[in-house]
Amino acid sequence: MNPTLADLAPLSLDLMLVGAILWVFVLDLVRPSGAGREAGYLTALALAGILVASFFVRTDGTVFAGSFQGGGWSVFFDRVFLVSGLVSVLGSIEHVARHHAHRQAEYYILLMSSLLGMLLLPGVRDLLLLVVCFELMGIPLYVLSAFAKTEAHEGGEVNAPEAGLKLYLVGVVSTAITLFGLSLVFGLSGTTSIAKLGHTAPSPLLGVALLLVLAGMGFKIGSVPFHMWVPDTYQGSGTPFVAFLSVAPKLAGFTALAAVFLLGFGHQVQAWRPVVVALSLVSILGGNLLALAQTNVKRLLAYSGIGHIGYMLMAFAVTGPDGASMLLFYAAAYALTNTGAFLVVEAVGADGGDDSISSMAGLYKRSPILALAMLLFLLSLAGIPFVVGFWAKLYVFMAAWQVGFRALVVIGAVMAVVSLFYYMQVARAMYMRKPEEDAGELRPGRALRLGVLLCLIGVVGVGAYPAPLLTEAQNAADPLFAPATPAAPQTSAALAFGQNDD
Amino acid sequence: MNGAAPSLLGMIVASPFVAALVLLFVPNRERVLVRLVALLGAGVALAGSVVTALRFNLHAGGLQLAERYPLVPQLGISLELAVDGWGVSLLLLTGIIIFAGVLASWKLEERTKEFFILLLVLVSGVFGVFVSQDLFVFFLFYEIAVLPMYLLIGIWGSSHAVTEAGPFKFVWKMFNIGGREYAAMKLTLMLLVGSAFILVGIFAMYVASGAHTFNMATLGAAHYPKAMQYWAFPMLWLGFGSLGGVFPFHTWSPDGHASAPTAVSMLHAGVLMKLGAFGVIRVGMVMLPEGARAWVPVIGAVAVVNIVYGALSAMSQKDLKYVVAYSSVSHMGVVMLGAATLTTNGWNGAIFQMFAHGIMTGLFFALVGLVYERAHTRDIPSMGGFGKVMPAAAFFFTLAALSSLGLPGTAGFVAELLVFIGAWQSHSSWWAIPGIIGAFLTAVYVLGAVRMIFWGPGPSDKFHDLVDVNHTEWGALCILGSALVVVGCWPSLVLDFINRATPAYLHVILGLH
Repeated sequence: MNPTLADLAPLSLDLMLVGAILWVFVLDLVRPSGAGREAGYLTALALAGILVASFFVRTDGTVFAGSFQGGGWSVFFDRVFLVSGLVSVLGSIEHVARHHAHRQAEYYILLMSSLLGMLLLPGVRDLLLLVVCFELMGIPLYVLSAFAKTEAHEGGEVNAPEAGLKLYLVGVVSTAITLFGLSLVFGLSGTTSIAKLGHTAPSPLLGVALLLVLAGMGFKIGSVPFHMWVPDTYQGSGTPFVAFLSVAPKLAGFTALAAVFLLGFGHQVQAWRPVVVALSLVSILGGNLLALAQTNVKRLLAYSGIGHIGYMLMAFAVTGPDGASMLLFYAAAYALTNTGAFLVVEAVGADGGDDSISSMAGLYKRSPILALAMLLFLLSLAGIPFVVGFWAKLYVFMAAWQVGFRALVVIGAVMAVVSLFYYMQVARAMYMRKPEEDAGELRPGRALRLGVLLCLIGVVGVGAYPAPLLTEAQNAADPLFAPATPAAPQTSAALAFGQNDD
Repeated sequence: MNGAAPSLLGMIVASPFVAALVLLFVPNRERVLVRLVALLGAGVALAGSVVTALRFNLHAGGLQLAERYPLVPQLGISLELAVDGWGVSLLLLTGIIIFAGVLASWKLEERTKEFFILLLVLVSGVFGVFVSQDLFVFFLFYEIAVLPMYLLIGIWGSSHAVTEAGPFKFVWKMFNIGGREYAAMKLTLMLLVGSAFILVGIFAMYVASGAHTFNMATLGAAHYPKAMQYWAFPMLWLGFGSLGGVFPFHTWSPDGHASAPTAVSMLHAGVLMKLGAFGVIRVGMVMLPEGARAWVPVIGAVAVVNIVYGALSAMSQKDLKYVVAYSSVSHMGVVMLGAATLTTNGWNGAIFQMFAHGIMTGLFFALVGLVYERAHTRDIPSMGGFGKVMPAAAFFFTLAALSSLGLPGTAGFVAELLVFIGAWQSHSSWWAIPGIIGAFLTAVYVLGAVRMIFWGPGPSDKFHDLVDVNHTEWGALCILGSALVVVGCWPSLVLDFINRATPAYLHVILGLH
């Protein structure tokens, strides 16, 4: 069988990204003193180009003997990753040029390599490829989080090497746990093809295997009780990179979870659902309650992000097309909002702030636009109407309510109010405190402003009219469960149960 | 007949919001322009409300001037606007209050532009609630009306006399939140917890009806299991009730109103608390009738507590703004009492009381703001004899006080009379007695305050050169004062609208299809 180039159509977006990586790499080589700022602009341009191309290129079909499947699900996630990557690259340009002037291209190449792993992940339908892509995504992140090497972080007590080491150790251990779990799965099922996992007979050992995989992935997505690396790594790493780290890898973790659990073991939902629900519950509670005590905005957003992982786990536990599409919507909403919020933190931090809540004081005066943007991001994170986060939470709650997770929904809703309390601490500093004496007008770089603007447009635009994105999410999730997978009847049964219950 | 303005209601809802958007592009230093744009936005909304009242066909009744735009078709959410008789009267109230509110805060100098932007966004939400016929959009507008309050109080409020208290005192201490920020945060959190309850109630209806629409008529016509109504109704009652000042969830209101800037207190006590009561009646009682019937004894008893407790609390206050704030709690009890009677008179009285109390308390807060701005104190015992230096303010304050205690010829009289007659006709006639005691207590504290501030001996030396009502304040006070008297002498002007809608809803709740 002679593979032709046309057979690689499902991988077209990924191949474009490979091209972009090489492009920046060569640019770095040919410049006498390495690529400067233009590496960043090139990267942004390339990511934007791939994002636009994703609307025109057909990526349906499978390659590599069914181990990779293109199509709606994969493209939806790819777009979310690309947006997240694009915006954080825009936010990085000034930061990297200032702090790492001599190795700018490195930063973008690493970021794009990690992005490449992510772009592949949603389409992966084979356990081996899954692990490979996951590591392709993960290893550059270890490097990036310690990118500042020995350069002392301004004012922070956690420095970049510590942040990197924490992420690295946790990452390696969790990979080992995941691999161990997957090897057990392979031993029991005799296949690495996700489509065939469904034939595995239920057994206690399988339960242990799935638990191990879930625990390993739990570290990656940073859910409670596997979350301890999250705040430290966020605090120690460069903020624009954290904007990326806090969103894309976590969502990529969800695509891996979806591949193994929704597609592979969707028919044995009872075996793993209670664990996911429990993880969701402790993440929502832990993330939101621990966030209350934070005085550093990056740590606050880190803990609040753990809470958001909990909400996404809630959608995940719903399973079936409903849960999957709500997960997609939540992922998109979270990506826009959280990335935007971190970029504002970067803008303030770059101007001499120490990332504490009090460094946001009087932002309304220093930059009314940034303050308004941050306020809207915070409201969206809290799930307040007319910004995208509200619809995200609402849809997840509705889907979860209908399958009978009533208590979880109520706790989630109460915690959303709690979250408003700590988000408002930031808003309070921005709007009700006077700026410090020496703090003048804040004018971040053009690229960063563009990044914030993109997020803002998304947050407000989708918030005002959510129907198109919801349709997209449903269209992306539905085919995943269409070809007689066992998950679909499970869900409709659960839905009917939910309605009978009233 | 609808040709001239195809989307009259849409225009009313949108005009304050559009004005807010325009303000975004007006430079902050152009203070006069900012105020004029805000006034224009409020004026268009007021004019629209009056036109709505004129166009409303009293013979036909029912829902009129309907408009519909799909919003999230997957979930059956659409922007559906229409008014019934209740809606018309509450639109008029909102229009009057916001117009007067903009005039009353004309002199605000600190961050003028942001203030008016938030105020206008908030009022768009209020208009939206009164005209939306889609339960979900209703909720969205409700949230828009509640949320800007945090910044409005937190930034422009006063920390004067507001101290942290209650079971969560340690939390406020821990986060070092005090004064106006405490008031703002407490208000926001309490109302949001209420919103969470409302959302649960709305979902319960949506899921149980199986109709896949949020249309209020469709959801209202669905038959819900009794068991579900019994738990879903209190969710809505307490959820909306926390905004409507239902005891013991009213505690945000005195602190919030006392620390809010003038126009915000006017709007909040005048209109926003009505959203809560309106929600209880229109969504809770009308849409879950069996649940409502089961809970009515509790609602009525709590309302009576509200009336008496609010009045007693008002009596013991020294701070003028707290007096008015607690009197609002007491008067909102009258609204809930009217609702609990399940009689035509009671319900007419409840909605009429919303209108009357809205105007009256708007007038009160405008005057409190005016007096405070000049005298720089709200401490009642330190004031006295202000009537000699500011006779116009004294006149209007006395007028509001008389309406507050229900003097015939003022709007307050009609409302309280209807509610008390309704209470007497209801199954629990005893409700009328504490209700009337409450009205008596109101007379005691409100006349006491008027006498101390305006008609007593004085004014002392430092208050000799107080300036009387001037400029735009005249506009605000005249509009509110004349509305109070005109509606008091000619109640059918508003009552006809209200009474057009009441019987139909009452039939639903009494099961007389």
